[in-house]
Formats: sequence, C-alpha cells, structure tokens
Amino acid sequence: MVAFISKRLLLFIPTLFGVSVIVFLMLQMVPGDPVNTIVPADATEEERMRVTRELGLDKPIYVQFIYWLVHMFQGDMGTSIIKRLPVSELLLPAVGNTLLLAAASAAVSFGLGLAIGVYSAYRPKSWAASLFNVLGLAGIGMPNFWAALILIGIFSVSLGWLPSSGMQSIGGGGLLDTFRHLILPTIAASLTTLGVMTRMVRSTIAGLLQQDFVFALQAKGAPAGKVLRHVLKNGMPTILTVAGLQFGYLIGGSVLVETVFAWPGIGQLIYQAIGQRDFPIVQSGVLVVAVAFVLINLAVDSLHAVLDPRVRHS
Amino acid sequence: MATNVQSIVPDAASAASLPKQPSQAAERWRAFCRRRAALVALVILAAIVLACIAAPWLSPYDPYAGNVKERLLPVGSAGHLLGTDEQGRDLLTRILYGGRLSLLSGIVPVIIAVILGGGLGIIAGYFKGIINTLIMRTLDILFSFPAILLAIGISASLGPGISNIMISATIVFIPPIARIAETAVKEVKKEEYIEAALSSGAGTGLIIRFHVVNNIFSRLFVYSTTQIGICLMLASGLSFLGLGVSPPTPEWGFMLNNLKQVIFIDPIVTIVPGIFIFVTSLALNIVSDALSDVLDSKG
Repeated sequence: MVAFISKRLLLFIPTLFGVSVIVFLMLQMVPGDPVNTIVPADATEEERMRVTRELGLDKPIYVQFIYWLVHMFQGDMGTSIIKRLPVSELLLPAVGNTLLLAAASAAVSFGLGLAIGVYSAYRPKSWAASLFNVLGLAGIGMPNFWAALILIGIFSVSLGWLPSSGMQSIGGGGLLDTFRHLILPTIAASLTTLGVMTRMVRSTIAGLLQQDFVFALQAKGAPAGKVLRHVLKNGMPTILTVAGLQFGYLIGGSVLVETVFAWPGIGQLIYQAIGQRDFPIVQSGVLVVAVAFVLINLAVDSLHAVLDPRVRHS
Repeated sequence: MATNVQSIVPDAASAASLPKQPSQAAERWRAFCRRRAALVALVILAAIVLACIAAPWLSPYDPYAGNVKERLLPVGSAGHLLGTDEQGRDLLTRILYGGRLSLLSGIVPVIIAVILGGGLGIIAGYFKGIINTLIMRTLDILFSFPAILLAIGISASLGPGISNIMISATIVFIPPIARIAETAVKEVKKEEYIEAALSSGAGTGLIIRFHVVNNIFSRLFVYSTTQIGICLMLASGLSFLGLGVSPPTPEWGFMLNNLKQVIFIDPIVTIVPGIFIFVTSLALNIVSDALSDVLDSKG
C-alpha cells in the first residue's frame, strides 16, 4: 500500500511540473509586450528598460520560467495588474468559496446519482427508470450556464423565492442566508455530473447484478440489503474513479456557473480578470484549479488502492 | 494452423465479393433506424443544420438591424416567432445566423483534433518505446487540467475570437482522441495481417496507411462523434464568457451572455438561444450513442 501511494506521489511531481510549464506557456502566448500593461503610455525608454529588468523579462525564457516557478512555490503569485493587490490575497478566499460550491454540488449529484442509478439498475423496465434515463441524457446535454439562467428565471424572477446572485444578502448574513444563496448555483452546477453519475452507476450496478456471486448470495438466501452491500462494494472502485474526475470538473466548470450567479469564487475571479486582461489572476487561478484537480486524482487513486487490493498488487 | 486458414478464408471471400459491402452498410443503417429516438434526433439535427445554412432564405430580417421600438418582444409575437432581443433584433433570425458559427465551433475542433490527435496516437502506438513515452506523457499533462479550464486559459491568453476558441478546443480534444487511437493501434499491431504484411516486405508507411488507419478508423470515428456535442457546449461556454465573437456578430453562447442582462425584464426571451445549444447537443449525444452501438458491435 505504502509502496503504491509513494509511487503515485513520485509521478505527481513530473505532472505538477508539466502543469506549471503549460500555465507558464499560456502567459507567453499573450500577444503584445507585458511591459505595456504596466508602464504608462508616455514612459521613457529608460523607464521601460527598468521595468523589463525588474520583471526579469530580459532573461532567457527558461530563466524566466525558473523565477516564476520559485515565486509560485513561495506563495508569491505576483500582483494583480488592475486591483494592485497580491494575487494570493485575492485567490485564497475565492478558493474557499469555490470549494464550498463544488462540495455542495458533489454531495447532491453523487448522492442522488447513486440512489437513482441503483434504483434504475434494479428496475430497468420501470417507467421511472426510463424517465431517469432521459433526464440523465438531458442533464449531460445541458450547458450549466444555461441551466443557471433558467433557474434564475423561474426561482428568482418569476417566483421570487431565492436570491439570484452573490453569496450573502447586502447587510444580511448568517448561515441560513448563505445556504439560500447556495441552492440555485448548486443545482445548476450539479446537473451534468448528476447525469453522468446516474448513467455510470446504473450500468456498473446492472453489470454486477448479472454476476455469479450475486446469484450465489441469493441462492444462499441472503436478504436484498446484504446483496446490495456486496454489489456496491464491488462497484465502488469504478464509481469512485468517475466521481473523483467529476469533482475536478465541478471545480473547473464552476467558472461558468459562478459567472452567472456572481458567486465570489475562483471562476468569477477568472472571468473578471479575462475581461480586464489581468493575466496574473487568470494564470494563478488556472494553476490553482489544475493543481487541485491533480491532487484530487491522486487522492482518488490512493483511495482506489485502499478499496481494491487488485490495484495495489498490479 | 487449420483454424488460421478458416479465419482467413471467409475474410478473403468477403473482400473478393465487393458487392457485399453496401449490404453491410445497409444493415447498419437499418439497425440505426430501429432506434426511434436516434432517428428523431438525426432528423432534428439535420433540420437545425439546414435551417442555419439557409438562414438568409428563411428569414426576412437582417440579423444586425435592430429596432428600438420593438425591443424584447415576447416569444410568439406577430412577425417575430421567438421574440426580439435587447436591441429589437429578430431572435430567430439571429439564432439561425448564429448557429453557423456555433455549429462550426462544435465540429471543426473535433475534426482537426482527430487528424492531429489520431496522427499522434498512431505514431505513439505503432513505434512504442521512447517515441510513445514522449508523446503520451506530454498529452497526459494536458489531461491534468479540467477541460473547460484548459480551454479558458488558452483562449484568454490568445485573446477573444472564434478562431481562438476553436484552437483552444482543438488542444483540449487532442489528448483523449490520441489515447483512443494509441490503444486501438496497439491492439491492431498484434493482428496476424500486420505480421503477414511485415514478412512480405511492406514498408512502415504502407502498413500504417493501409492496415492501421483502415482498421482503427471506425473506432476513432465513433468516439469523435461523441465529442462533437461536448465541443459545442465547451465552445458556447467560452463564447458565453466573452472569449468568442465580438458584438454585433450573432453566436448562441454570446447571445445568452447579452440577454442575461435583461433576465429580470423578460426571463423567457433570455433563455431562448440556449434551447438551441441544448437540443443540438442532446441530439448529437443520442445519435452518437446509437452510432457507437451500431458500429461497435461489428468492430
């Protein structure tokens, strides 16, 4: 077990390195001279040279990369061009808010997905299973930013039941208030994942229900609950792998949902920064989410090894 | 040896009698048609594509010309079937014109990614060793990003523009397609006909062109059709963020972005362009589901 996880950890380092190379390359793709965004338009050539030197832009590109990487490791993500604040100061609270939204969406979509998927696998011919099947397909095909607009149209504009933007009412606060603000973004963000999970759980469980060990259990007179426990245990590795990937997508896809609901997370921060061409924020935002995604995959792999001895020994 | 001969003979026979080919295609088409949902989805898809192509002939309105007096007319207004947008432009007209860019940005990246990713996958799968490691590990790194985020990062860096959206979407779709191709090539390489071709002195280029590409094509094709719907949603999402067209060009994602500002005035008109993204990607998913059932069962 320890050997397996430490091998994964070793693989984690080159992956992280590769991810940072790509994020760094994104910055290089930005057209125009980055110095122009910092110095005033009427700056003297001397002034421009000074800024270029300060930013290390006169160095070869690999030296620039090493500088950048070292700074990132020290938690120094540069300064926002527009807000004139350290990027890390802006990103940290946003990460927390994004994780809150992603965790809520994960809870809803994994919980419901598991329940609906198991039900549909047990009763494949029922009308409810067919309905869930169609709804699942619809969930996968539905852009989450559009779902967000529909939810606002129904629950905020027409019915006036729930708030349409932000995380807290102006002047108001409290846990209940935040919860009310969380409901619509959570639904919008979880639809696609719910569709994916439902379909995947259904096909996994349906496949397992055809296996000999299930017939053996039933023949021995095991109660339905016990059979289900065995089936779930066998299906868990597959389900967890997909769930882990989906959790990463929930964080990544949050950019769009957060934008519509003005949820103060990393997605909204990135969106605003794109509009203002504030690249240090876009860069660091993408890097932070990508690293989180890699970490989640690492955690899922390790969990996979804990649950399934076959993975450990292969 | 006897079994080998047996397995080769029917192949040779079917290859020799070429007229049998169309009957197999017809059989698959019939299998596809038996799936009612898939057939309906295909018809809807065809209707949307044709309507977008024929937009200038179908609509009497100019997609760019607004009318201040007719702003935000509701769905079902006389003369404006789907209402008008925040500048008084006919919404259906803009949707039909906008669909051209939206549909293109769903299809073009997948096609280019199949060519580039398929090529990389074939090279990696065929040559193994260091070439394989180099290509596949590099692509693995792109896999470490959530797709939408990678696309946003690249698009934001390149600057707004529909062609930049297509570039970033292409980059996102190359790794999964390359992986499918690589796995398929590795399997094909174990087949005896490759060994036969090698021992009869066929060159690498010939084997790849003739045996490898032909044999993995259907799998690659099936997989890439499943990606078109995803790509359409990805591209419209980027466009929704303002990374695509600039006003007043119509495009589904960007139209939603503009209309979201008037959601408190007319929530129904606001969501109309999204219906087209949704229906198109749903239809694409249903059709590609059926395609993979029909094509995969026979190799």
